[in-house]
Amino acid sequence: MASATGAASHPVPPSLSLPPSQFARLQPHAYLLAHLSPPAASNQPSIRANGRASSQFRVTSANAGSLTHTNGSAVVRMGDTTSVCGVRAEILRTEDIASWSVSRTSNEASNKRRRLAELNEKPNEEDEDTAADDEEDRAHIEDLNLLVPNLSLSTGCAPGFTPGAPPSALAQSLSHQLLSLLHSTRLVRADDLRIWYQPPSLGPEELERHNDDEQMDVDPNPSGGVEDHKNREIKGFWVLYIDVMIISLAGNPFDAAWASVLAALRDTKLPRSWWDVDSEMILCSDNVSEASKLSLRGLPVASSFCVFEADAAAGWRAVVIPDAEEQKARSQKKGSQQRWILADPDGYEENLGQERICLVVDKEKGGKGKTVVLKMEKHGGWTVDTDDLRQLVDISARRWDEMKRILDQC
Amino acid sequence: MTTPLVLLPGEEVPSDHLPPTKNNNPLKLGPGLRLLSQPSTSAAAGHVLTATQAGLLTTDAKRNTVSLLSFSNRRYLPTTNDLIIAQIHHSSADYFHCMVTPHTAHALLGQLSFEGATKKTRPMLKQGELVYARVLSVGIGAGAEVELTCVNPATGKAEPGGLGPLVGGMVFDVSTGMAARLIRASSASPDQTDAVEGLVVLSELDKKLESVGGFEIAVGRNGKVWVDCSNAGDSAIQATVAIGRCLQQTDEGNLSTSEQKKLVSRILREMKIG
Amino acid sequence: MRTGQPRLGSQNRIAAYFAAVVSDESVRECFAGPAAFPILPNKRVYFARNRGDGEDKEEVEAKVQALGVTATSKYMGEQWLVHVPGTHTRSATHHPQKNCVSNFVTFTTRHQATTTFIMVGPTASLAPLYRADGSSSYTCPATGYELLGAVNAPVELPARRDALKPEEATVEVFVKPGTTTAGVGERYVEGILRSVLATVILGREKGLPRRGVVITLAIVGGEDVERGDSYLTLLPALLHTSLLALLSATVPLSMTFSATLLGVTKSGIIIPDPSAADAKAMASLHALAFSSKGHLLLNESQGRFEFDTWEAVRQKALAICQNTAVSADGDVSMAEGAEGAPLHDFVRETVEDQVHRDYPWKIDAV
Repeated sequence: MASATGAASHPVPPSLSLPPSQFARLQPHAYLLAHLSPPAASNQPSIRANGRASSQFRVTSANAGSLTHTNGSAVVRMGDTTSVCGVRAEILRTEDIASWSVSRTSNEASNKRRRLAELNEKPNEEDEDTAADDEEDRAHIEDLNLLVPNLSLSTGCAPGFTPGAPPSALAQSLSHQLLSLLHSTRLVRADDLRIWYQPPSLGPEELERHNDDEQMDVDPNPSGGVEDHKNREIKGFWVLYIDVMIISLAGNPFDAAWASVLAALRDTKLPRSWWDVDSEMILCSDNVSEASKLSLRGLPVASSFCVFEADAAAGWRAVVIPDAEEQKARSQKKGSQQRWILADPDGYEENLGQERICLVVDKEKGGKGKTVVLKMEKHGGWTVDTDDLRQLVDISARRWDEMKRILDQC
Repeated sequence: MTTPLVLLPGEEVPSDHLPPTKNNNPLKLGPGLRLLSQPSTSAAAGHVLTATQAGLLTTDAKRNTVSLLSFSNRRYLPTTNDLIIAQIHHSSADYFHCMVTPHTAHALLGQLSFEGATKKTRPMLKQGELVYARVLSVGIGAGAEVELTCVNPATGKAEPGGLGPLVGGMVFDVSTGMAARLIRASSASPDQTDAVEGLVVLSELDKKLESVGGFEIAVGRNGKVWVDCSNAGDSAIQATVAIGRCLQQTDEGNLSTSEQKKLVSRILREMKIG
Repeated sequence: MRTGQPRLGSQNRIAAYFAAVVSDESVRECFAGPAAFPILPNKRVYFARNRGDGEDKEEVEAKVQALGVTATSKYMGEQWLVHVPGTHTRSATHHPQKNCVSNFVTFTTRHQATTTFIMVGPTASLAPLYRADGSSSYTCPATGYELLGAVNAPVELPARRDALKPEEATVEVFVKPGTTTAGVGERYVEGILRSVLATVILGREKGLPRRGVVITLAIVGGEDVERGDSYLTLLPALLHTSLLALLSATVPLSMTFSATLLGVTKSGIIIPDPSAADAKAMASLHALAFSSKGHLLLNESQGRFEFDTWEAVRQKALAICQNTAVSADGDVSMAEGAEGAPLHDFVRETVEDQVHRDYPWKIDAV
C-alpha cells in the first residue's frame, strides 16, 4: 500500500518497491483502497485509481448518423467502452399478422373495461396521453414486437471474448435490459410506427385532407378528427431492429449501450409510407425531405454505479453482521470511510465490487421539471439503502443534464 | 428441558439454551453453527453463536455439545472419521475403488488398510463386496479424493470393532438422518432403559429375535445399514428382511416409540418369525 | 420464541392476503395485506371500514362459516382494516381484478349477510424432490405462480474459466420457464438471482470453495412471462423458492431474506402483490427483498415514479416482509413474540413444519 501511494508523491527506496501497474495487478483491492483512502498525513484527496472522483463519470462523446445504410445510428464512447447502434426499419403488414383481426377487437374491449375501471381514479393531469391511448400504445409495441433490440459483445472487445462463442450471458441479459427498458419507458410511440390508410370520404374535408402532408398527424379539428378516425385503418407497422455492438468493453456496458440506442433513435428517420389502394401494397416515398423523425417520450438517461467496500471479505469474516439500523448508525459516525459508491465503474473497478446500482432518470419538461425515476435496480450487496439511493438519484439527475447536452450536440 | 427451538440461518443461539459452561471442558460445536465475534465498535462485545443452517437446536449437557439438527434426507457428504459402508467397485494395484454414494467419484481404500494386512494376507475383495470403513481424509478442493481405512493407522487394529469386510447379510438404504440417529443411539450407554433418541425398534427386535439366534448390524453414516442374521438358520432371510423393513418404515414414517413397537410385532407376525 | 401457540398444519394456516366480498350494504369488498394468522371455521373475525383518516371505523362482526367459492370485486381504492382477534390488524386496499383460485372462507356478518373471503397466501413445502440435495415447491395464489426449486450443493463443476474461484463457491442459477425454452429474459433474471443469493450464501465455509451451488428453478404454473416482459412479478416467488431450497439443502447461509412485489397505481395507491395482468396497468412496479436483519438486498423498480414514492413503497415492503411498522390503532397483538414478521414468518413456518415432520421424536420427547 505504501509503495502505491508513495510512488505517486515521493521516491521510495528501490528495494521493495513495485511499479504501480504491477501492484495494481497483484493486489487490485489494496491498490484501489490506497487511492480512495490515502493516509491522512499525505494530504491527498480521495480519488479513484483512474483519476476520477467517486461520483465522476467518464468522458463521454456521441456521434449520430455515422452509418449510412441505416435509418438511424449512433456511436457512443464512454472512456474505453464504445458502443455502436444501428436502427433498421422494416415494414410489417397487418395482413401478415395472424392474430391481427382477433387481437384488435379484444384490445378494444379491454380498453373499454380499463376505462371503466379507471373512472374512480384521480386523473393524472401531467400525462398528456389518455390511459386508453397508453394501453393501445403498449399493446401494439409489446404484443407485436415492434422493437427488436439485440446486443452483441464483439470478438476481442475485452479479453475473454473469443470468436465463434455463443452469445454470453452478459450479452443476453443486456439485450433483455434494453428491451425491457424500451418497453417500460415507452420511449417510442406506437403512433410513429403505424402506417395508416385513409379511405377517401365524400365529405368537404376530402380536399383539406389531401393537402395535409403529415398523414399521421392528428387533426386539430375535433369533430373532423372523429369523423376521420372512424374510417381510418392501420395497414402496417414499422418494426425497428435496433442492433447494438459493443466494440470495446471496459466496464459499464449498459450505460453506453443505452445511450447509443437513445442517440440512434433520436437520429432515426422513417420514410413517408402509405397504403396504395390500386396496387394493394404499402409504398414508401424516397424523398428524404418527406421522411419524419420519431417523436420520443422524454430522454431517459442511464447511470450505473458500483460499490467498493474497504473490507472486501466482511461478509465472510467470523463477525456478526450488523443489522440494518446498527449499520446505518455506524456509517454515520465520522471515521474512516468503509465503502465508496463509484459512478460509471470501469472494468477494473467492476471486478472489485459485487453490489451494483443502475438508475434511469428523466426530467420533465425538457429538463426544467422535476426528476422522475424510470428504473432503479440494486442488487449484489446490502450496504446501499434509502439515503444513498437518494443521493444517487441527484447524481443521476446531474448526469442527465450532461448527457442531454452531449446528445443534443451530436 | 427447554422448548424445542428452531433456528434459521443468521439467528443467534440464546445463551439460556446453551449447556452450563465448565471451565476445563470447552463447549463443542456441531454442524450448522459457528462462533462469531461482535464487531469491535458494538457496545456488547463478546462472542455469539449463530446458525448457518435451518434446523432444530439440540444440546447435550453430558458431553457439553450443542448442534443443529438439520433436515434428515440430505445427501451424504464424506466427513473425516465417519463410519460408512462402502461397496467395492473395482481394484487397482494399491487401492480398492469404492462407492460411498451413488453418482459421485469413487473413494479410495488402500489394499493394506486392513487389520493385520500384508502384501500376502490382504483381503482379496471382489466387485460388489462390502466393507465397513472409516473416512480417513476427504481432501481439499475440487476433484479431491476421499480416502477410507479399515484400520486405525496408529494402533494397527480395527478400531472400533467390526471394521473390515462385511460378509453375508444385506444392505438397506435409510436416510442419512436416520443413520446418524442409529449411531447416536448405539453409542449411548447400553444399560439405559428408556428409548434413546426415540428409537426402540432395535431393542424391540433384539428381544423378539433372541430366540432365533440374534442378529448383527452395522450402520454407515452414508445412509446404509447392513444386517446379518446368519445364526437364525432357516429363517435367516426372513429375519434379515424383517429388520430392514422395520428400520426403513420407522425412518419413512418418523414413528413414535409405541408405533415402533407395534410395527416390530406386526412385521414379525407377517414374516412368521419369533 | 413461539410459545403457547397451538401448532397448525399448513393446510389450516392461511398465511397472507385475503379479500372479502360482503353482500351486506356496509361491507362490500376488501382486500387485505399480508397477515400471518390462522383462520378456522367458526372463528370470529371483525372487519372495520376505514374511511381514510383512520377515525371513521365501522365494525362488522363476522364468523367463518365454511370454505367457499370465488369472488370478484368491483370497487377499488378503498381503505380497509381487517381484524382477527388475537392477531395483527392490517390496513387493506381493495385490489382490482383479483381472480385467483385458492382457499376460500365464507363468513356471516352480524346482519346475517354472507361474506366470502378469498384467502391468498404463499404456501410452500420443503424437500418435495427425492434426488436433489434440497428442494422446495412454492405456490403464490396472489400472482398465480407455482414454482419448483432444486439445489445441488456442493457439486463438482466442470473446469470452466469463469467458474473457478479459488476461495469460494460458484453460485449458478437456472430458470426454466414452463412452456418455452429459456431465453434472454431468463439469463437476465438468473443474473439478478445469482447476485442476491451469492450475498447470503457462505461460499467459504468448509467443503464449498471451488465447488458449485447449483440452483434450478422451474416455473410450473402461472402466467407465462412474455418476451421483453420484466420478471418483476416473478422475482419474489423465485427468491422465496430458492431460499427454501437452499435451506432444505443445508447450504450455509449468513442470513435469510424475504421478498415482496408492490405496484403503484396511476393515482398513487400502493398495492401488494399484483398479478402479472394487473402489473401491466400499474404506473410503477417494485420488487424488494430484505434480509432477516433488515438490509435492503434487492430493489428492482420500473415504471415512472418519484423518489418519495419509492420511499413509501420501501416502507410498506419492509412492513410486509418484517412487520416493523406497528399499526396506528395499537390493536396489534403480537402473540408470536417479537418476530411477528409476516413474510419472514412464512419462511420460518415452512421450516418449522419440516422440522416437526422430521423430528417428531425429538420434539415429543421435550
